[in-house]
Amino acid sequence: MNVADVVVAVLVTVAVLVGVLSCIGVLMTRNAYDALHYTAPASVVSPVLLAVAVVIEEGIGSQAGIKSIIVALLLIVLNTVLVHATARAGRIRDKGRWALEPNEKATIPDR
Amino acid sequence: MSVLAPPLAAEVVLPVSTGWLIAGAVLLAGCFPLLWVCLRRSILEALVAVELAGTITTLVLLIIAQGTHRQPFFDLALVSAVLSFGGGLAFARFLERWV
Repeated sequence: MNVADVVVAVLVTVAVLVGVLSCIGVLMTRNAYDALHYTAPASVVSPVLLAVAVVIEEGIGSQAGIKSIIVALLLIVLNTVLVHATARAGRIRDKGRWALEPNEKATIPDR
Repeated sequence: MSVLAPPLAAEVVLPVSTGWLIAGAVLLAGCFPLLWVCLRRSILEALVAVELAGTITTLVLLIIAQGTHRQPFFDLALVSAVLSFGGGLAFARFLERWV
């Protein structure tokens, strides 16, 4: 087992841990808006780590390396849009409109 | 010398990386908490869980493709990344008013 194999093993392990912890985070929260935050690590950190691991194993010019990079970029960009769309849908469902109410302040209350 | 039937090529056995497949199995197990959220929580939290499950599934497909060293399987991960986004967006849109 050479250095590259060790690095790949570490990257894959961390990526899997981040993904599993994100899932547990969604389970532990009691609010959909809080749960949305836990989708970010699984959509940003894990794909990047896995793509780096594939690139180290196969090379950056390989078909596998290029496709894994594309998948990582897609997940990063598309998840951002999806999280916003979900939060927007939740607010419209709750309040009936997206815009702020006349007497509503866009501040986060202390918890 | 017969030219009718070429000799059968020896069966090619592609190497399988067990470590990658174990990682994929562990990551896939993360979908069980999401299934619980879908069954027991509000519909908005269920949507969040479905979206995260789509991401996890895409990552598992990526891991399986690398673990089995089959290049075409990477296309499945690509398609899953795009379609899970489209599905989540459609759910979110309908969730605004109609569901």
